Amino acid sequence: MSLQKPPNSIKILTGNSHVKFAQQIAEYLNMTIADIHVIEFSNRESAVLVKESIRDEDVYIIQTGCGGPEKLNDYLMELLFLVHACKSASARRITAVVPNFPYARQDRKDKSRVAISAKLVANLLVTAGCHHVITMDLHASQIQGFFNIPVDNLYAEPEVLKYINLKLSTTDLVIVSPDAGGAKRVASLADKLDTPFALIHKERAKANEVSRMVLVGDVTGKVCVLVDDMADTCGTLCKASDLLLEKGAKSVVAMVTHGIFSGQAIPRINQGSLEKIVCTNSMPLTAMAEVCPKLEIIDICPTLAEAIRRLHNGESVSYLFTNAV
Amino acid sequence: MRDIIVFSGSSNPDLAERVCRNLGLPPGKVELRKFANGETSVQYGDSVRDKDVFIIQTGAGHVNDLFMELLIMISACKMASAKRITVICPLFFYSRQVDSKGSKRGAPNGAQHKGTQIADSVPSSPKLVSRFSHDPTPKEILNQKARGSSAAPALQTLRTNDAAIATTGYRSWIAQSGTLVANLITSAGANHIITMDLHDAQFQGFFDIPVDNLLSKPLFQHYITNYVPDYKNCVIVSPDAGGAKRAAAIADVLSMPFALIHKERRQMADQTPSQDLMAHSNPSSSSVNSVSFATPGLSMQRSPSTASMSQSAVEQYVATTMLVGEVQDKVCVLIDDLVDTSSTITRAASLLKDQGAKYVYALITHGIFSGDATSKLKNSAIDKIITTNSVDQTTHYTQIGADTMVILDVSRIFSEAIRRINNGESVSMLYDHGW
Repeated sequence: MSLQKPPNSIKILTGNSHVKFAQQIAEYLNMTIADIHVIEFSNRESAVLVKESIRDEDVYIIQTGCGGPEKLNDYLMELLFLVHACKSASARRITAVVPNFPYARQDRKDKSRVAISAKLVANLLVTAGCHHVITMDLHASQIQGFFNIPVDNLYAEPEVLKYINLKLSTTDLVIVSPDAGGAKRVASLADKLDTPFALIHKERAKANEVSRMVLVGDVTGKVCVLVDDMADTCGTLCKASDLLLEKGAKSVVAMVTHGIFSGQAIPRINQGSLEKIVCTNSMPLTAMAEVCPKLEIIDICPTLAEAIRRLHNGESVSYLFTNAV
Repeated sequence: MRDIIVFSGSSNPDLAERVCRNLGLPPGKVELRKFANGETSVQYGDSVRDKDVFIIQTGAGHVNDLFMELLIMISACKMASAKRITVICPLFFYSRQVDSKGSKRGAPNGAQHKGTQIADSVPSSPKLVSRFSHDPTPKEILNQKARGSSAAPALQTLRTNDAAIATTGYRSWIAQSGTLVANLITSAGANHIITMDLHDAQFQGFFDIPVDNLLSKPLFQHYITNYVPDYKNCVIVSPDAGGAKRAAAIADVLSMPFALIHKERRQMADQTPSQDLMAHSNPSSSSVNSVSFATPGLSMQRSPSTASMSQSAVEQYVATTMLVGEVQDKVCVLIDDLVDTSSTITRAASLLKDQGAKYVYALITHGIFSGDATSKLKNSAIDKIITTNSVDQTTHYTQIGADTMVILDVSRIFSEAIRRINNGESVSMLYDHGW
């Protein structure tokens, strides 16, 4: 038995939300996932089973916000339990890798007497013992300010750029934001591609429901690329696509970071006018890709794996904001 | 009532309604729903500014969902400038923590085993058992010493022990979540917790805010004295050692005799001494009845021969239940704070019947009844199941049937606690008062 442990050892853990994703990240890092699991009991309580030592390790816990009405809160609690288990097992540093941050959209008090749940989740993670958070394309980057620990908000933009450059011709392209909130994201992308951009302004009556849409910009005869941070019920995307075609667009492709696809999203896409919807594998989508031929998945694992590697080695992460891995 | 408002989570609206009715208050308006992607959303319909807010949510059902809902409810109240937020969890979330035995009994691990359930989740309490399965028992050490006349064999045993530790490496354990749950509730913004019959009284110490642990004892005493015929001649039985104190307290007050069922879990290797111990610890051999069962998935009888055959498997335990006390021709009243898969209590009841008990009551504060518990209870030796509405019992009640199940109402205890806390009166009177 040697007393000198490697001073810089790292462990990757995962909850049950997206095991394949974690395995891919571990593969890129040439590692295996630590033997620490979350189990569920018949009374639906969860518990963490720790099968290997994580004392003084640099721990990365990969768990994404997914699962729909049945599992989302379970996965969030799993993450908290894993963080706390690592804390009580004397991990040196605990980093939560949460590609799709749960409750990110409840980030403000838009009505009276509602919770700012994103802030609550941030507090919960810190309370559980998190030292660092890695996430991707936060719905509002201000959420970073909800934490009093460092948050690395990665961007899928470099990968999206890479995809557009490889797969779509840039000559007759126009980048479209489906809502005013995403205008900044789209403008930056359009700048880098040197293409025009357009914007759809929508008036929302209720959450998850879209009412009236107005297009700002010219899309006649162009291939439109709708860019958004997440696709949930896809009501917005499908309506936007209809509107763009109505205004003379040649075809419409959607590119989103997080494909949540809840409710009637898949039938909507299948029957809708979208030519293609491209999203990252930050959510478990293999089952959906089987029933939705329009769905194309880009692998974002290298970016997260590189972020983990850089964070672990104490290197700068900002390179990843502009460069695909 | 001053500036008071009571809200209910989605776990037990019936209880909340009863509490409100007792207090003469309209239930607070709150809209609890979920977005399409599964995120819980909370919006209060009544103003909570500068109010004394009480939120009722019990920890049974889809536990994690309900817990997140509770946290969001607390947070929303805090953000809406509530004066004080008191959380009422009749059954506290994650109050019973599964200890590392779970892994010893083949707990499902991770994604590949998702959906598998532990058949017999064990009520846990902190144990001082060694974390290492290969620690030599005193007996082994003695044996080694006896053999130690020549140094070589002793060294050899040591070496094999080392090798065993090296191959098994890390002894797996289940992380305890009590502190986390307490911290999460506090960080969400709760100022006060009211709960009932906490499984581990130490849980109160995990909180940095006041916790009022109400007792169902007065309610149970009332039931026994009024509904159990000739209760003075009945026996109060605790189905495990952990609940002995709770059961004995009731036996003391009602001056009833008391018996205890003790459950032992021993490694198969320790088989023979454990039998010796058992024979030793029982005053009369007639009252020794051992219902033995092995690890699930291994049909194994308790006999030294099989024990020696299965020595290779380290993770094998034999559990033995034995009764301490006399129940022959008596009516037994089993008392437990929490029944989940119901294996402990049903096993206890069959042991009591084997020992000649006439009739078995089971008084349970929190009936979670997960898995196949209701069918197990229905077919068990228990003649009457008495539980409370701390957990919503409507489905269980129809499954078990009105003739075997009685539900006691705890809402009055909680309403009185709410009234007293709101008025700044003492709550301690509730610990003894008969309801």
